[in-house]
Amino acid sequence: MRQLLFIGIVLVSGFSAGVILGLINFVTTEPFLDRAIELENKANFESGEEKDTPQFRAEYNDYRYWQKSGMVLAGGIFGLGVGSLFGIVFGLSRDVLPGKHHVQKALVLSGLMWFTIFMMPFFKYPANPPTVGEPETVVLRAVLYLSFIAISGFGAVGFYQLYKRLEKNRKFVAFVGYVAFISIAFVLMPSNPDKITAPMDLVNGFRIMSAFSVSLFWFANAIILGSLWQRFQPDARIKFEKH
Amino acid sequence: MSSVKEITISKQTVPIFAVVILALIFAFGLFLVGYDQGHLFSVVIGEQAYEDLYLHELGHDMRHAAGFPCH
Ligand SMILES: [Zn+2]
Repeated sequence: MRQLLFIGIVLVSGFSAGVILGLINFVTTEPFLDRAIELENKANFESGEEKDTPQFRAEYNDYRYWQKSGMVLAGGIFGLGVGSLFGIVFGLSRDVLPGKHHVQKALVLSGLMWFTIFMMPFFKYPANPPTVGEPETVVLRAVLYLSFIAISGFGAVGFYQLYKRLEKNRKFVAFVGYVAFISIAFVLMPSNPDKITAPMDLVNGFRIMSAFSVSLFWFANAIILGSLWQRFQPDARIKFEKH
Repeated sequence: MSSVKEITISKQTVPIFAVVILALIFAFGLFLVGYDQGHLFSVVIGEQAYEDLYLHELGHDMRHAAGFPCH
């Protein structure tokens, strides 16, 4: 395999899909983030920690501008990271994935990874807007979230190993096994310890938009990587190559 | 397409070098967006980074939007 081409395809796909995610977020999650942070401001005014002065507003707007301007860049970095993981798994599994076209193969893998390492962890530990969450528990929440991603992801890999070894008419056992495994993990893992004090319509609206945007990232990444792979075929070898 | 004739698909394995590079980028990207609290800039500009939390703030909205725990 031409490895620089392979790495290039993976990084370009991940970064592009991440930038798309960043741009989409301006429409999907940002309105909820603005609302949530304004609630934090209100709480600070009421407790006397801050005063609602023009100077506060000027600083606040600068601060929000900086945070928002990071959305696209951070999306790109997120895309590079997640896209790299996707690229590794795609490279290793491309021959066994169903489909003739590489876009099909990439979509199948992306769907599986989206479900196991994004949706399942999301159901257990859904995204929260600012104002939800105690600063003291952030490390615990980070560890729980990452652990659940790892449990679900490695669980899926494990049951795939079982899937390969099963007879054709028994392959469903692997799916049932994964569902049982992840259900047990779901019940046994401690819940997010923080109470939600923000309005539920804000929290739910934010969650739906967050899940929608990240799902779109997985979809876009698969389409771009599959198309680039189909076009450039990093694992193809040209016959009669010069020696 | 004439190019089809020139190409044979060979089932080549993924080079370990590529896997290592991509795994590093994966860890780096996830850390930066999901978990960095100023660690990275502190290497360059010292303790000040922790107070300013530049990267944290820059990645802040994405961190929430992508589902990572934040504040
Ligand atoms: Zn936050």
